[in-house]
Amino acid sequence: MNVKINLDQLPKEELFGQGNVGCKGCGGAIAGRQAMKVLGERTIITIPASCMATLGGNNRHTTWKIPFYHTLFECAPAISSGIRAALEAQGIKDVNVVSWGGDAGSADIGFQSLTGAAERNEDLFHVCYDNEMYMNTGGQTSSQTPYSALTTNCTVNGKKTNKKNMLKIMEAHDIGYVACASIAYPADLMAKFKKASSRKGFSYIHVLAPCFKGWGIPSDQTVEFARKAVESGLWELFEVEDGVRTRNYEPKLIPVKEYLTPQKRFSKITAQEIEDLQQQVNTRYGKVGK
Amino acid sequence: MAKELPIVPTAVPGSSVETSAAASWREYRPEVRESQKVNREVVLFCPDGAISIEKETVTIDLHICKGCGICAVESDGIVMVPEYTGVSGVFGVKEGNK
Amino acid sequence: MSKVLMTGSEAAALGAKLANIEVLSYYPITPAFPAMERLSKYIDDGELNCGFIRAESDHSALAAVLGASLAGARSYTVTNSQGLLLMTEVVYHAAGLRQPIVMAVANRAISAPHSRFPEQGDAVSQGASGWIQLFCENNQEVLDSTIQAFRIAEELRTPVMVNYEGYIQSHTSEEVEIPAADKVTKFLPLKRMAALDVKNPQGVNTVTSPDFYMDYKYRQNEAMEKALTFIPEVTQAYNTEFGRDSIGNLETYKMEDAEHVIVAMGSIVSTVRQFVDAQRQQGKKIGLVKLKTWRPFPGQELYAVLKNAKFITVLDKNIVFGVGGALATDIKAAFYGNSDMVINGFIIGLGGAKSGIEQIKQAVESTESSEQRNSTLWIGM
Repeated sequence: MNVKINLDQLPKEELFGQGNVGCKGCGGAIAGRQAMKVLGERTIITIPASCMATLGGNNRHTTWKIPFYHTLFECAPAISSGIRAALEAQGIKDVNVVSWGGDAGSADIGFQSLTGAAERNEDLFHVCYDNEMYMNTGGQTSSQTPYSALTTNCTVNGKKTNKKNMLKIMEAHDIGYVACASIAYPADLMAKFKKASSRKGFSYIHVLAPCFKGWGIPSDQTVEFARKAVESGLWELFEVEDGVRTRNYEPKLIPVKEYLTPQKRFSKITAQEIEDLQQQVNTRYGKVGK
Repeated sequence: MAKELPIVPTAVPGSSVETSAAASWREYRPEVRESQKVNREVVLFCPDGAISIEKETVTIDLHICKGCGICAVESDGIVMVPEYTGVSGVFGVKEGNK
Repeated sequence: MSKVLMTGSEAAALGAKLANIEVLSYYPITPAFPAMERLSKYIDDGELNCGFIRAESDHSALAAVLGASLAGARSYTVTNSQGLLLMTEVVYHAAGLRQPIVMAVANRAISAPHSRFPEQGDAVSQGASGWIQLFCENNQEVLDSTIQAFRIAEELRTPVMVNYEGYIQSHTSEEVEIPAADKVTKFLPLKRMAALDVKNPQGVNTVTSPDFYMDYKYRQNEAMEKALTFIPEVTQAYNTEFGRDSIGNLETYKMEDAEHVIVAMGSIVSTVRQFVDAQRQQGKKIGLVKLKTWRPFPGQELYAVLKNAKFITVLDKNIVFGVGGALATDIKAAFYGNSDMVINGFIIGLGGAKSGIEQIKQAVESTESSEQRNSTLWIGM
């Protein structure tokens, strides 16, 4: 299915974001705003414990203009499964049911309910907005923290195990649609959300949404580093639709070093580690040499 | 006496915009210098939904802008200027101060 | 009304079916699974029009039911012991969100050591969760309470747990009178109370400051306290509608002139009834108070019926370590400063340990002879 997004025809209404209480330059909030431009008002969103949940509102105030529910940590996809069943029981149609977790609420503490909902092929989609660490508690290591990144509980040489490949795992569920996006490519991201919302059954979208604080970059660089991750070849924009894998963007393949070394979290990465990552990228993109 | 509250703990949709304290967080604020040069994608890069573009007019809502500076990095025609306005106030946002 | 032989599991499932539940989710566990399978069979056979979420864990099962409730559907789940413990986080959360979920709990002991046998420790572990908790003596009460639970939950916006014991009830058949389906539908009119509704969007469970949190908790407790008068109203309405004799918060049995009273809840009450009958034949002034509503705790109502007793024997099929039985502890707290009777708590039948006439007799004798007054004693080891 080919979906094109015309940036000039997006709705003006802000269904999410205005007055949110997140940090300035929040990558998660950017992902939320881009997604809501295509999901529209007939959407119910469940968000487990995360920055995205807490920035949604305080007390009687919320930035969301659609039904939003700040769920418990482990179970947003299960909650969303129940919401879908309730809508069906009442004959309510044409509603997007979305669960939206961070790397913890998707890949770690929330993984059980995610894999459960995916296997049941629930008619909903799950979004992992990935900032590669537990930022809502100040920046601890997650399964999505990349190799050699420093975190607040991995402070000496950085994490020494690999990032768990959630996209491979979700692909292995044989669900209809799995996609990987970055907030620096809004047209591509929105096309993926549009696809997921128009499909029956379970879809999974993994979005790179940098956190400037956790990554150790200036707040105005959030989008720039979401772009460099892609252009360096470390973050691939692709989708797997009904088993067919498509790369959605051919990166310029800037040296991975240009993405890694400006980030404080990679301040302990070794030259060898950078070289290894470069080789991995070269292999993936069929490039010879550096 | 307990306050009158909804039975289910709920919040009023879209109401955060009323209580936004973003202006008080800002150290720099964006200024549109050349609206014809502004990249239309920048609307989608603002975490706070503070930028709108209507035809050639670019508007930045300084009530909700936190001053992250992404718009100025992602687009020509926008620059960040310090909020510190000397003796007239620290981080004060004043109309006509641009 | 027709009478049918059925297990407690079947009674629970039938109650939920008659209540026209719209969304069901569960994660299989022993001994609750026969109720689950029966409900799934109703759905598969087209006898019950209900969405089913085949959860991958107990936590997700209650989460799914909670999501469904928030989106406006009448929702139901079944569990026990480890399942209930895994659900605990969602149990508290659902009560705080004031969702009228009904959950059957086929009470079973908690590991470790591993046991699959009956005990009320699982339900007692949730005593502070904000769920109304009803304990059923027999399978008729399981059916009646399940139907009543939806009315109570939906009126008070407070979830209800319907407890019946594993095996002793879940796997044992008794005669049960079945109310007419159309009358139950009338008794439980469906009110939509969706908090998650695209036509009326709201943010649910936003970060709450100290200015509001305690006020929400006050309102939650207010609803729980209201249950003490509302539950008897519902059972009264039910009895009128269906010609039954179901009890409100508690039942008194042979209490006229009783000097010694046994207080208990759940299936052991039937055994106590036999014991009391036999003792009465021997001229002993003994009675029974059966507690159906444990949460909220009807302390004043209990005091009113127990105030003239000399001896009170409280049987607890649970243990709160370092404190005693939950029921005895609650009674002692409710009666504090108002009585000089002997109140002895007994821990009995944990993990399926013997809790028959012999053990009850031992407890009663111990209360009357004990030097250790107002203490906790373990019976039946």
